[in-house]
Amino acid sequence: MDARRRESLFHKDFQHLGDEALLEYYHATRNLEAFRQLYVRYKDCLYRYCTQMNFAGAGAILEELWSGLLERPPELRGRLLRTWLFIRTDRLLRNYAGSDPNTPREIPAADNPLLKGLQQLPRIERNILLLHLECQLPLATVADIEKLSLKKCREHFQRGRERLEEILHGPKRQPWRIEEVSV
Amino acid sequence: MNVWERQYRDAAAEITSPGALDEKILKRARQFKPIKRDNNRVLSGIASGCAALAVVVLLIHPAQYLGALTPGQHSTGSAGQAPLNDWQSHRSGSVAAADPWFALRSEVKAGNYLALCQHWRRQQRGKASEQLPRDLENQAREHCRLLQTR
Repeated sequence: MDARRRESLFHKDFQHLGDEALLEYYHATRNLEAFRQLYVRYKDCLYRYCTQMNFAGAGAILEELWSGLLERPPELRGRLLRTWLFIRTDRLLRNYAGSDPNTPREIPAADNPLLKGLQQLPRIERNILLLHLECQLPLATVADIEKLSLKKCREHFQRGRERLEEILHGPKRQPWRIEEVSV
Repeated sequence: MNVWERQYRDAAAEITSPGALDEKILKRARQFKPIKRDNNRVLSGIASGCAALAVVVLLIHPAQYLGALTPGQHSTGSAGQAPLNDWQSHRSGSVAAADPWFALRSEVKAGNYLALCQHWRRQQRGKASEQLPRDLENQAREHCRLLQTR
């Protein structure tokens, strides 16, 4: 009972810690609970991002990401851990020696038209949309990741959105064109 | 958050990390053993032991009580002064008993040659019962005016 109480106390303590402090604490003490807390914070959104970018390689990529983080502390260089995680995942996705990520893949769990529509977008637009929507990274950071200017990145984002709208709801309504009917 | 983003979030909420993957990653995390920090505990134990020992030594050290016997540290007439006075008088008494010339010698040492010279003159006249010891004789030769004996 005492051990369980202590564990819950630890758990409560970790709740207050930010990601970076938690990571530092984990690497100083190798406390499994600290890692678990950090893992729980990011596991789902990382998985969603990975599966939508490359369904086949998601498991392997996430394993590589987390085991790298476990082995040695990442060099954050003033960045947030959140940003670092998604930048690293993006790099791993690019380097993943699997099938061509450009080909759309079916996500078995996703029978949602929106998710299906996302899969039909080209890789760069899908990546920008997901990094901004799922990972909640600012567009400026997304532009850095994609090595684009912010303006270009915003254009891609807009185009991706429009394309998705089109896939979901059909093409935009065009104004009636009055043509001269030549008899 | 606009409608479109909310729609995406609702749809994506169904996708969660599979349990098998979580288990695999946590298993990998378990391979790193927690770092135990017993060294610190041992060190702090040793440090507090040393500190306690130092306090005990300071408390029972005889030097603690030397100050208590020093005259002037206490107000005059206090009970603490009595043993020291006894000690001094006892010591001077014992020296006086051992040396019959003690009283005369201490007067000479204080610069008072009157008694010495009286004794010396008496000795010169052959009236002294006891001869002065050598060192006192030398002192007397140096300091006493020789009076012409008639």
